[in-house]
Amino acid sequence: MRRLLALAAAFFVADLVTAQAPPPEPNGNAAAAARQCNICHGKQEFKTVRPDGSVRPLFVDEAAIRDSVHGKWQCTDCHADVDKIPHPAPLAQVNCQRCHFGGNPVGAPERINYEGYVKSVHGRLRLAGNTKAPLCQDCHGTHGIRKHTDPTSRVNKAQVPSTCGRCHVEIYADYQRSTHGQSLLTKGNLDAPSCTDCHGEHSILAPKETASDVSATNIPETCSHCHGSMAFNTKYEIPINPVKTFKHTFHGIANELGSKKVAQCASCHTAHAVLPAADPQSSVNPANIPATCGKSGCHEGANANYARGRFHIDPTNRDSGIIYWVALFFKILTISTLAALLVHILLDLVKKLRHGHAGGHHGE
Amino acid sequence: MSEHDHPLQRAAARELEEAHGLSPAEAAERAARMHERLHRRFGTWVRRELIIQRREDHSEKSREVRGEERAAASGGELFERLSLNIRLQHATMAVSVIVLVITGIPLKFHASGWAKAIIGALGGPDVTPIIHRVGATGLIIAGLWHLFYIAFTREGRWNFKQLIPMPKDAVDAFKQIVYYLGRTDERPKFDRFSYVEKFDYWAVYWGMVIMIGSGTVLWFTDFWLRFVPKWFTDIAKEAHSDEALLATLAIVIWHFYNVHFNPHKFPMNRTFITGKISELEMREEHPLEYERLIQRRQNARQSARDPEPSQASRDSLPASEGGSGGHSRREGGEERREAPPQSGGRGGRR
Repeated sequence: MRRLLALAAAFFVADLVTAQAPPPEPNGNAAAAARQCNICHGKQEFKTVRPDGSVRPLFVDEAAIRDSVHGKWQCTDCHADVDKIPHPAPLAQVNCQRCHFGGNPVGAPERINYEGYVKSVHGRLRLAGNTKAPLCQDCHGTHGIRKHTDPTSRVNKAQVPSTCGRCHVEIYADYQRSTHGQSLLTKGNLDAPSCTDCHGEHSILAPKETASDVSATNIPETCSHCHGSMAFNTKYEIPINPVKTFKHTFHGIANELGSKKVAQCASCHTAHAVLPAADPQSSVNPANIPATCGKSGCHEGANANYARGRFHIDPTNRDSGIIYWVALFFKILTISTLAALLVHILLDLVKKLRHGHAGGHHGE
Repeated sequence: MSEHDHPLQRAAARELEEAHGLSPAEAAERAARMHERLHRRFGTWVRRELIIQRREDHSEKSREVRGEERAAASGGELFERLSLNIRLQHATMAVSVIVLVITGIPLKFHASGWAKAIIGALGGPDVTPIIHRVGATGLIIAGLWHLFYIAFTREGRWNFKQLIPMPKDAVDAFKQIVYYLGRTDERPKFDRFSYVEKFDYWAVYWGMVIMIGSGTVLWFTDFWLRFVPKWFTDIAKEAHSDEALLATLAIVIWHFYNVHFNPHKFPMNRTFITGKISELEMREEHPLEYERLIQRRQNARQSARDPEPSQASRDSLPASEGGSGGHSRREGGEERREAPPQSGGRGGRR
């Protein structure tokens, strides 16, 4: 909490400092001003060598800025610490909140979930001093920021995996192989989930945090956003409702009641390498089921018997085989037994109440 | 004059004449005036006295309702119906079943708030399975205990034989329905176990087999899956869940009606604690057993008078006509000559 306050204060102070200058306004001279920066940054070969020896290109594509959502702004509207040319290097990190704050006078979008970011795993790591944790521009881009609806935007649904994958390399590789990744990235099917569809956007939390959309207890709900609807499932040839049927298993019941130990969707299907059971690479392919059930100390020594039978069984569905018949048998048994018992009780009750008051065996 | 004829009025007139020296005419007139008031006061007094007496009667009665005195008062002799052994079996099973129902049924209604509240109150989904298995252990003990009881004790074997369904039970059930419908005033005569009791017994038997069988598969899934395919455990899960609901409803609706909410038993049939039923209950609910019992008793008395007791009659005596084993049988055979009403009757433990 204290950290949060400190961060908020830091940004607030930064805000005050940068706000000394009047808020930037669209300027007819933007092009002219940019041309000034272009003296250096317009050159493709303009580079610098970092102390570690790596080369950093300093070329800025003016066209990219012009096409971006910030095309009407001057360089110094964001790089506010440039007050002379040439400017001393390096410049301060651009502070997006200079414009993107609630009630800002220049009409910058305010929907930005800044609170969520501060509380997110990314924001907290950044605050803790981890410079690898992303800031706004790490995901949204710098000069070429475009709206998420623009297919070329780095935060467009289809681009998000590669954006996240810049840091989460292995997960990105898993995801690309998964049925979700293949559908979205290869087939361009926007039904398939991108990273943010499951993890959230600005307010991403670590899976072990209970409030996370991908925590053990929230995963079924998150998957049900798509797989909870039979219309969706049938479209992708999934014959039963996987979430509903899961909730009736002991795994699902314990999960719903709050157990973090039991298997949830991702425990068997994996989090990122989700594949149809028919795929030999799938964790739920019958050949792989013993290994999947036996992992992380769940069912040690699981053998091929674990794969012999159906999964995600709906006892009310005739396609469920023997379970359907067992359930039907008990349904008939229960209804007929209870009906007979209730009738017997009712007859007995009526007779006894008619034949005298409660409380004695006085001769009938 | 009818007024003068009233003893109260006459007494008043005499008193006025003799003690107060009034003239007869005046005394009669005054007495007539007093009569009405006296009559009214006397009536009030009588009513009040009646109310008090009635209240005393009532409280005395309700005191009697508790305990065996009432049964004895209304029914004479007490008969032991459930032996201590069987009562302990029942208690073990009852406690186990209550534990199992409380920790099990919420799983069937896992989506509802009350189910989550119960599981949460008992320590959450990582704790209730342990409680459930403690209950399961109790139920398994009760089941094994009972199997030993009906296999290896004379009392158990004798009771079990009487619990075997017979054609008479179907006839009895039919007759009972006809009686309920008011087509006849004659009720079927039950022996030691009526068709209702036999149904209860076999319903529990079936429930125990299904629940313990499937429950053991679910408890030791990893062990079972070494030998059986997954669909076998799926059947166990489905059967366990469905039979659980059936058993719970049967207990709550049927069993609780028969022993608690039935107008003749409300609020509770105490036999499962005392093991005893009154002679009246015996005559009404188990007339055949009662008649046979009395017959046996007469035979026993006869043979006691005989220097050589008829071996045949003693052998045909069941292990325990009252249900409490060989101990009471010995009593029954040798000692029950006069059978004083309060001595506990056949099979009674005094």
